[in-house]
Amino acid sequence: MHQGRDTGFQAPLWRAIAVYRIAALTYATILVVRNFPHYQRPMLAWPVLAIMAGWTVFTTYAYADPARRRPQLFVADLLITVGALAASVPIVGRVALESGKPTLAVAWHVAPVLAWAVAGGRRGGIAAAVIMGATDLIVRAHYDQAAYTGSVLMLLAAIAVGYLVRMAEDAHNRLQRAVELEAATRERERLARDIHDSVLQVLALVQRRETGELARLAGETEAALRHLVARHAAETVDDRSEVDLMTLLGPYASASVTISGPAGPVRLPGSAARELAAAVAAALDNVGQHCPSGTKAFLLVEDEPGEVVVTVRDDGPGIAPDRLAEAAAQGRLGVVQSIRGRVADLGGRTTIVSAPGEGTEVEMRVGR
Amino acid sequence: MTRVMVVDDHPMWREGVGRDLAAAGYDVVAATGEGRQAVRIAAAARPDVVVLDLQLPDVSGVEVINGLRAELPGVRILMLSASGEQQDVLDAVKAGATGYLLKSAGLAEFLEAVSRTAAGDTVFTPGLAGLVLGEFRRLAVGPFDKTAPKLTERETEVLRLVAKGLSYRQIAERLVLSHRTVQNHVQNTLGKLQLHNRVELTRYAIEQGLD
Repeated sequence: MHQGRDTGFQAPLWRAIAVYRIAALTYATILVVRNFPHYQRPMLAWPVLAIMAGWTVFTTYAYADPARRRPQLFVADLLITVGALAASVPIVGRVALESGKPTLAVAWHVAPVLAWAVAGGRRGGIAAAVIMGATDLIVRAHYDQAAYTGSVLMLLAAIAVGYLVRMAEDAHNRLQRAVELEAATRERERLARDIHDSVLQVLALVQRRETGELARLAGETEAALRHLVARHAAETVDDRSEVDLMTLLGPYASASVTISGPAGPVRLPGSAARELAAAVAAALDNVGQHCPSGTKAFLLVEDEPGEVVVTVRDDGPGIAPDRLAEAAAQGRLGVVQSIRGRVADLGGRTTIVSAPGEGTEVEMRVGR
Repeated sequence: MTRVMVVDDHPMWREGVGRDLAAAGYDVVAATGEGRQAVRIAAAARPDVVVLDLQLPDVSGVEVINGLRAELPGVRILMLSASGEQQDVLDAVKAGATGYLLKSAGLAEFLEAVSRTAAGDTVFTPGLAGLVLGEFRRLAVGPFDKTAPKLTERETEVLRLVAKGLSYRQIAERLVLSHRTVQNHVQNTLGKLQLHNRVELTRYAIEQGLD
C-alpha cells in the first residue's frame, strides 16, 4: 500500500470518497428510519448509526492528509465497516434480512473498498472488495442474484478505480518529468546565452589570432561547448518515444568534423537512431585511421519523407574503385563491413563512392 | 573602396575584425554592439557590407536585418555566429542575409567571405546548405501551399554537394558546369527562400488587415 504520499491529483479522489461516505450515510439513515418497525432490536440501531457518523467524520479528516494514510487506518476502516455490517444481524434480525430488508451500513460499506483501491491499486481494491462482499453476503444470508450483483458491482468498481488511479499516477509522473525537462531546457538556454556572450567569443578569437596547437585546442573546445549549449537535452519524456538523430550526432562535431542538417529535430525510433549514430562513428573512425591528419570530414543529415539519409564525406586522398573491390575481395574492409552491417540491420542500404583525389563518401539510407 | 560596418556586442571581437578589415583595404565606416543603434547608424554611414553577429543583446538578428534592409535596400549582410543556432541562422537567411560564416573561421576565409559578399555573391557554409535543404523539404511536406518554393533537381544536387563540404570549384568539375553557374544555382536557392518569406509576410499582413 502506498501510504504517506500525495501526488497532487490524489487529493480530489480522497475528497470524493469523503463525499461518497457522507451521502451513503444519509441514505443508510433514511433506510433505517423507514425500516425501523421491522427491526428485531430497533433501539440499538441508533448507536450503530452514531458510530458510523463518527467514523465518517474521522475518516474525512484522517484521509485528507497523506501523512495520516497509514496501513493501520486502512485496516481500521475495513474492520469498523465490517463491524457495522455485521451488527445488522442482531439488530435488523435474521427474519427481516432474509425478507430482503437492507443492512444498516448499506452503500456506506463500499467507501473503504474505494479507499483501498485508491491507495493500493487494483490488488488493494480487489482484496477489500472480496472481504466486504463476503461479509455482506453472509450478513444478508440470502443468496439470490440481486445480492451477488451488489458484491460483483463493488468488485468491478474497485478494479476500475484501482486501474484509473494507476493510470492517472502514470500520467501525472510523466507530466512531472516533462515539467522538469522544460525547466532544465530553460536553464540550459540561459547558460547558453551566458556562454555565448563570453567564452565562445574569446575561444573563436584565440582561434583566429593563434596558430598551431593553441588554435586547434581552442577550436575543439569551442565546438564541444557549442554543441553542449546549442542542442536540447537528449533525454525524452518517454523511453519508448523517438529520439533526435541530430542530438546523438552532435558530440562528433569538432574542428575537423562539420555537421550539417535541418534546423529541426530528425526523429527516428531510439534503437535505429543509436545504430545509425554508431555507424557514423565507425565511418568517422575510418577517416581518422586511413586518412592523413588534417583531413576534414563532413556529415550531412537529410530528413526525407520516407527515409533518413546520412552522408559522411572526407576530403582525404580517396581510393581507386578497383582497389576498393580488391580490398573487399581480400576481406580487408573491416570497418566498411561493420557500417554496412549496422545499416542493413536497420533495413537500410549503404553506398560508398570514392576516387583518387576526391575523398571517400559513405551514404547511409534508412527507411522510417 | 568598399564600406563595411561591423555589428558585434563583443568589444574585443569588434576591434579585431575592424583591424583585420582595415588592414585588408576596407573602409570600416562604423562599428557598434547594439542592433537598434546599428540600424540608426547605417542610415548615415551607408555601408555596402554589414558584418553582423546574429546574437545581439537588444534585438534579434532578423529584426536588425529587416531594419538594415529598410534603410539601405541594396546592403549586403554577412552574418557571423559563434553558437551555430540553426533556427536563428535560417531565419536570418530568409530575412535577407546573403552570407553566413562561423566565427571560428580563419582570417583568410573571413576576408574571402567579405569580398565575395561585397561582390554580390552568396557565402554558404556546408552547415547553411544543410539548413536550406532541410527548409525546402519541410516546406514540401508541409500543408499544401501553391506558393511553397521548390528546388530544381540541379539545385538540390548542388546544395547537397555544398553541404558535403565540396568547394564551388570541385562542384563545377564534378557536374561539368562553370564556376559561375554553380554560384548562380546556390544564389537561386536563397532567392527562392527569401521571396517565399516575403510572400508569407505579405499574406500574413493582408490577413491581419482584413480581419
